[in-house]
This record gives sequence, structure tokens and C-alpha cells, in this order.
Amino acid sequence: MNMELSRRSFLKVAGAGVAGTTLGSMGFGDAEAAVAAHVRPFKLATTTETRNTCTYCSVACGILIYSKGDVRKGETAVITHIEGDADHPTNRGTLCPKGAALKDFVHAPTRLKYPMIRKAGTDKFERASWDQALDRIARLMKDDRDANFIAKNEKGVPVNRWTTVGFLAASATSNETAYATYKVVRSAGIVAFDNQARV
Amino acid sequence: MSDTHTIQPDPSAIGGVPKAPFALLPDASRLFARRAERFDGLAPGSDLAAYLHFLAEISRAQSDIANDLPPAEPILAEVTERSRTGQMPPIDRSSVSGGQVRATLRALFEKADAIEKPEQAATALAALRQADDATLDTLIRDALSDAIPVETLAANLFVSAGLQVHMARWAGGADATRLVPVSVGVCPVCGGKPIASMVVGVMGAEGARYCVCSCCATQWNEVRVKCVTCGSTKGVGYRSVAEDDRDATVKAEVCDECGSYVKILYANKNPSLDPVADDVASLGLDLLMRDTEYRRAALNPYLLGY
Repeated sequence: MNMELSRRSFLKVAGAGVAGTTLGSMGFGDAEAAVAAHVRPFKLATTTETRNTCTYCSVACGILIYSKGDVRKGETAVITHIEGDADHPTNRGTLCPKGAALKDFVHAPTRLKYPMIRKAGTDKFERASWDQALDRIARLMKDDRDANFIAKNEKGVPVNRWTTVGFLAASATSNETAYATYKVVRSAGIVAFDNQARV
Repeated sequence: MSDTHTIQPDPSAIGGVPKAPFALLPDASRLFARRAERFDGLAPGSDLAAYLHFLAEISRAQSDIANDLPPAEPILAEVTERSRTGQMPPIDRSSVSGGQVRATLRALFEKADAIEKPEQAATALAALRQADDATLDTLIRDALSDAIPVETLAANLFVSAGLQVHMARWAGGADATRLVPVSVGVCPVCGGKPIASMVVGVMGAEGARYCVCSCCATQWNEVRVKCVTCGSTKGVGYRSVAEDDRDATVKAEVCDECGSYVKILYANKNPSLDPVADDVASLGLDLLMRDTEYRRAALNPYLLGY
């Protein structure tokens, strides 16, 4: 029952035929019935609009992601469109050419979705598990650090530098993630470090 | 030489993307004429053609009287400032009464008399034309308090149409730069409920969403992907009639938190959309939504009871 309607009037203007809708009480009930018959075979399509942050650079523009289907309702969702978020104070609905191409980035067949390894002597990438990838990265980093770490300079002053490895971290991270990343990387002695990823 | 050293740096102006204005005030002289055109455009081929033609004539009658009436009452600067301080709308809906509003309504009733309409509508209008001041005041009060007795739905259509003219002309005199948000789903000029919200494509507000007041037609900015009834940003989704693969320009914005929906019109995709006309013309969506768990929360005097 619609909240706006109440039954408490005894005014003289009240019509004889009382219908529950404006259309019915105005005498357009046939038109209302025609619409009802017309739409009966149709289903409702579910779409969603989701706020997010562009992952490309540290400007962190607001984006709206349009998709067909709603994951919260147990459906699969397909991204149909991505545009700048007009309410976001940083970009006010605008996007740079890279941001404007985000949908193609999401759907790209070449998009990296899991760790891949190209071993020495081959030109093919093969899929790896996260455990394999992280173990391998940790092993190689440890070996490199053990071989090339500079604890003291030629004057004997402690410098704790590791100059043979660089570290590139993501841009659209939270302050906390950026802080933790910085602490880990600098504690290991890595000098070449960019936590902004100007891709 | 110009005095360049006094110019203060303003990094926020880089790129020159303007902030969308908070409120867009109605211009009664164009509003109803444009709406009539939209009704005319929607009618051919529609199941609702008879009703849409009728509402086109009502909108034309609104447009005619809006241009003929004496100037609307001004909103005093001190009232605007007081409302701003108290975060209240400058127009007090409970104070809408008196000779001027009744004169506006009666002018509309006279114009509406010439419009072709079904018998029930004609009966309701005939009764309204003979109604005394007290009866009219009761109907005005019911319409403005959003509590319309089910027996007066037909009368309410004509009364609300007259009130729309009165309120749009009045709200048009507000100072848009001195308005403040009152509350979610409340018009910052007259305190009315939204009829729908529109994503606009107008210059300076591309992609911004505006709620449209069902009473005075003021448009006010609300953040996208947010329920305009309860203000929640959780559980907001969209439903549309799945006619083909094209993305619909009229959708129901549903909210899982309060279980209601208000239509959202994508005027950035189709600039001819009119919140009142397209709300009526998309009745099919409301009929399909009746089978869902969501309740219609928008108020449109031409489309009550869903």
C-alpha cells in the first residue's frame, strides 16, 4: 500500500468510482490495463553502478563502474562501461586517456590475472601459484641481497645499501599500505624505490 | 603593466573543471511548455497515449496560466538567511494558502475544463470548479502534506497541477547560491519529495545527479549511487525493463537498506527526458516493480497508487 494515500476524506469533490490509482480514478483504467498486459512478458534487468578508484596513477581519480548483473544477488556481473565519477572532488567526472580506456584494460585478453614465470632459456610465460611466485621472488631477492649488500662504505661508515634491486609499488594504495611498503623496502636497504608507479 | 604579483595561486582551478551547482531553480515560463512537448512526443504508439495526451494538455494549461498570472511573491533575503542558518527550506509548505494560490488553482481549473477527458475526470473537475474556499484549502493541505485521501485522487491531480505552477513560480525567485542541503530526499527550496532523479549532461555538471522536486520542480544535487530516500550508499542497485540489449535511460534505483526505489533518468544519454512526463510514460517499470520487494518512494501526483 502506498504511503501517500489515506482514506479519511469526506469532501464533496470525492468521485463516485473510487480507484486505487490516479489513472483509475481519472477514468484512464483501460490505458493502465494495456500497459500491464504489455509489460507482463518482460523481465527486469539488473544493473549496478559501483564507485571505485582508478588504479593507474597516484592522482586516484574517482570512477563509476557500470555492470550488468548484481553479484550481491547471486548473479554474475559483466562490466559494461566505466566513466569518471562526477561527485569525486579530485577529477569531477573527468578522466585522462588512460583512465578513459579502463574498460578495455579490464576486458583485455592479455590482462595479467595470476602470477606468470618466464624461466631462463624460454620465450614462454607459464602460470604459477602465488606460493610458487612469492617463494621464488623471496629466494632470488635473498640471494641477490647476500651477494651485493653494502654494509659499509670505503671509509668504514655504515650505509646498509642494496643497490642491485629496484622496487616498484602500486599507486592506488591506502596510506597504511604505502607506509608498510616503505618500511619493508627501506628496511631491506633497497635504494631504487617508487611507491607511485608512474606507468 | 597589469598587477600580476597580487594574483594568488589557486591549484584547484587547474584543468578548469567547475563544481556542479547545488541547485537548479525552475523557470515556470519554459518548464511546463517543455513538459507538454515531451508528453506530446511520448504519446504516439504508447499504451498510455490517451493519458499522455491529456497530461500534455494539462501541461499546456499550466504553461498558459504561468505566463498570465501576476508576479510571484518574492522570497525575502532575511527569510533565505534564516532558513540557511537553520538548515530549513525557505518556502514553508504549511503556509501555502490564501487568495493567490486559490486564484492560481481556479485559473487552471478553467483552462482544464476545455480539455477532452473521461467522465470521471470531468466529474472531479466539475466538483472542483464549484468547491468553496475551505474545501480547496483542505485539498491544498492534503496535497502539500503528501497524504492524499484515495477518494480525491482525481481532484488531487488538478489541485497538484495548479500547485506546481504556484510553487514553481515561487521557487524560481529563490537565491540558488544561498540554499543549503536540508536532508536526503527533501527539496532545499520547498521541502517536497523528489519525483525522480536525473543524471544530467548540462555544461558544468556533466554526469552529476539531481533530484527533481515533485512540488516546485527545483533540482538539487545528490551524490550518485546513493538512495535518495534514506541516504544509504549500501545495497543500491538498478532495475530496468529488459526490452533489448540497449541500456535503458529510465531505471529504478533500488535500496536494500530501506526497501524502496525512485526512478533515475539518464538525461545525459537523452536530453529530452522530462522527470514528470517520463515517470508517467515508464509506468510499465512500476508495474513490474510491484512484484519485487521494493516499494515506490517517489511522489508524482499524476501517478499515485503504485
